[in-house]
Amino acid sequence: MGATTVVKARPARPPSPPETSAPLRTGRVPTGPGRRRRRAGMLMVAPALLHASLWIGLPVVVSVALAFTKYDVLTAPEFVGLDNFRDMLDDAVFRKSIVNTLLYTFFTVPFGMALGLLVALALHTGLKARGIFRTAVFLPQVTATVAIALVWLWIYNPGNGLLNTMLAFLGVDGPAWLASTTWALPSVILVGIWQGIGMKMLIYLAALQSLPRELYEAASVDGASRVRQFFSITLPLLKPATFFVLITSMISAFQSFDQIYILTDGGPANSTTMMTYEIYKSAFREFRVGYASAQSLVLFVLLMGFTLVNKRIMGGSRGHN
Amino acid sequence: MELNRRSVLAAIGAGTAAAALAGCGGGASSAGSADGPAEGEITLLTPIYEGADGKTLLEKKILGGFRKKYPDVKVNVDYTTYAQLNEKITTGLAGGLLPDVLMMGVGWIPPFAAKKAIAELPETLASAHDYEKRVLEPSRYDGKLYALPVVLDTRIVVYRKDHFAEAGVRKTPANWSELRAVAKQLTRDGRVGFDPFSIDLRQCWETFLFANGGELFSADGKKVLFTGARGVEALQLFKDLVKDGSADYARKTDAGAPSNVQTGKASMMMTTSALWVQVKEQNPDLIEDDKLGSFVLANRRPAMLQGGTLVTQAARSRHPAAARALVEYLATPDSILGAAEQRGSVPGLSDLDDTGYVKENQFVDLSLKNLQHAFSEGGTAAWMEIREKIKPTLEPAIVGDQSAKDAIAELGRLAEAAIGRM
Repeated sequence: MGATTVVKARPARPPSPPETSAPLRTGRVPTGPGRRRRRAGMLMVAPALLHASLWIGLPVVVSVALAFTKYDVLTAPEFVGLDNFRDMLDDAVFRKSIVNTLLYTFFTVPFGMALGLLVALALHTGLKARGIFRTAVFLPQVTATVAIALVWLWIYNPGNGLLNTMLAFLGVDGPAWLASTTWALPSVILVGIWQGIGMKMLIYLAALQSLPRELYEAASVDGASRVRQFFSITLPLLKPATFFVLITSMISAFQSFDQIYILTDGGPANSTTMMTYEIYKSAFREFRVGYASAQSLVLFVLLMGFTLVNKRIMGGSRGHN
Repeated sequence: MELNRRSVLAAIGAGTAAAALAGCGGGASSAGSADGPAEGEITLLTPIYEGADGKTLLEKKILGGFRKKYPDVKVNVDYTTYAQLNEKITTGLAGGLLPDVLMMGVGWIPPFAAKKAIAELPETLASAHDYEKRVLEPSRYDGKLYALPVVLDTRIVVYRKDHFAEAGVRKTPANWSELRAVAKQLTRDGRVGFDPFSIDLRQCWETFLFANGGELFSADGKKVLFTGARGVEALQLFKDLVKDGSADYARKTDAGAPSNVQTGKASMMMTTSALWVQVKEQNPDLIEDDKLGSFVLANRRPAMLQGGTLVTQAARSRHPAAARALVEYLATPDSILGAAEQRGSVPGLSDLDDTGYVKENQFVDLSLKNLQHAFSEGGTAAWMEIREKIKPTLEPAIVGDQSAKDAIAELGRLAEAAIGRM
């Protein structure tokens, strides 16, 4: 059968970098034109390097240093070694926030990605008024989370909210979504999924539009069904985009803060508190900046670990351009 | 020492970190002298004077009068809310931009005074006006005066007289067993007998702790006193009310919406004295028809939580004389009355007891008559950290995930650790 002859498309390797006349990392000091090129290169990179050192490097270094201090903003930092990390082991609420963050990420990222891809596929067709649909799907991404959260607060209102009104119409007595320890986290996750679909859709849509048509034409000639084409051509070729969406979504999920701040304040009974929210509370409400820095370091290490694991599993962003 | 790229980078890194850490030190400094002429440009950070009315009151009426008295002082106002006040102060301290004059909550003075972030005020200011005896207590730290009270916000119980009559309840509960029984009696379809949860859980539990004869901390603020039976019983009562079905943690009043006692969803509720002004605006019929009553919570003793807003001066103000002048001006009877009327708060000056506002506002009147039963939160230099731990630590007990005893023990452990870090 023709369909069985379709070979799974493999992401193309990126082209090798062009050979340079003066190798930069040989250990030898370049001379002549090579030296001038290197100097010019350094000069061109210098503003960006300075900017990154000042606005990214310095805060990171200070944050890491503060993680080993007791610092309350009011008095000078005092070195306390690993005390902040030891405190963290005893901090049941922070441990809970790690679990909540992982749960939030576990549900919002894959579900959001699947929905984002589905929407992108739907909008990649010759659908009429697809511009309007694309805008509508992307709108939550560019709307202030505060405004979105306020709308969802009304939707989840146990008394006269949209959700419970609809459930009441069906004869179901809806719970107090954001005040219930059972329902608060799923409710927040739903908002997270809904809000993130737009960006995921946009990236997938851009990737879909750049896929080579020839492969699909060849597959059609071989008699491959649309489903087979999707699994054998589209999905493999979308691997770099998927890796990008996965990493950015994961980072975004790990850093989710504003919807928690407005929707639940981390409650009820810490059932929706997240790592970033605890970091914020430690720093700005409890004046424990050293402890907050230590918590941030843990968040950073967790994120870095997950990113590396994902990179290993998915082979990074190498693939079709 | 060999000078290579790695050693240079290491030196730069270490130097940067050291410089940053040194720069981060807010620096404890003593209060600047307030002698000399009041002049210069100063900033006021305030969580009150909310909304357009509040802004008009502050900028036109109060600061208008201040400008007439001190024409060489320019006041810039930085408005915020109590929810964001901490952030504003933290970022102000970290950036060296702490406003010259700050308005803070009750309980906030010891932490900031202990770290020398706010300036000590002369004791003469304590007797400049006829303050109610208890009112100045939250303004002191280590026996010294650091702030002046602007308004008080008390926590009292407000109830629906019509619901009481309907259920045949003739008198307000005098202790917790009566409260529990009455709450049960008042609970009907779609309405709870008692709503203690529509105010902040921290302040609610504290009111019950005080009414049960308990205390938060020792007088020196170094020992936790709430971990005994008094604190546990206060939390257990909430659990019992929820178990009875006469209170529901999930049915709190929505922010900005009419309160549960106004809508009739609760027959009694813990609230602040400011509710009177809200009812007057939203449901004047409840006042006209005399459907609302109020009482002070009691068990082993009557207790009313005394919160409020105090005005203080930053220790490192560049214009201390101007800042001091503003602190004093914001605590004059005229300024206090204006702020109290706008928020529905309690003015803490005996001079204002006979004003039309106090006489007309029944909740304010009740609060003033019971100031001898007022207790305040705070009392330790570690309060800013501890206050944030109370709600998230007690909440699991109320929703049934933990026993009252375990929750209080956990809170005690956290509070002791916070005090230990001071």
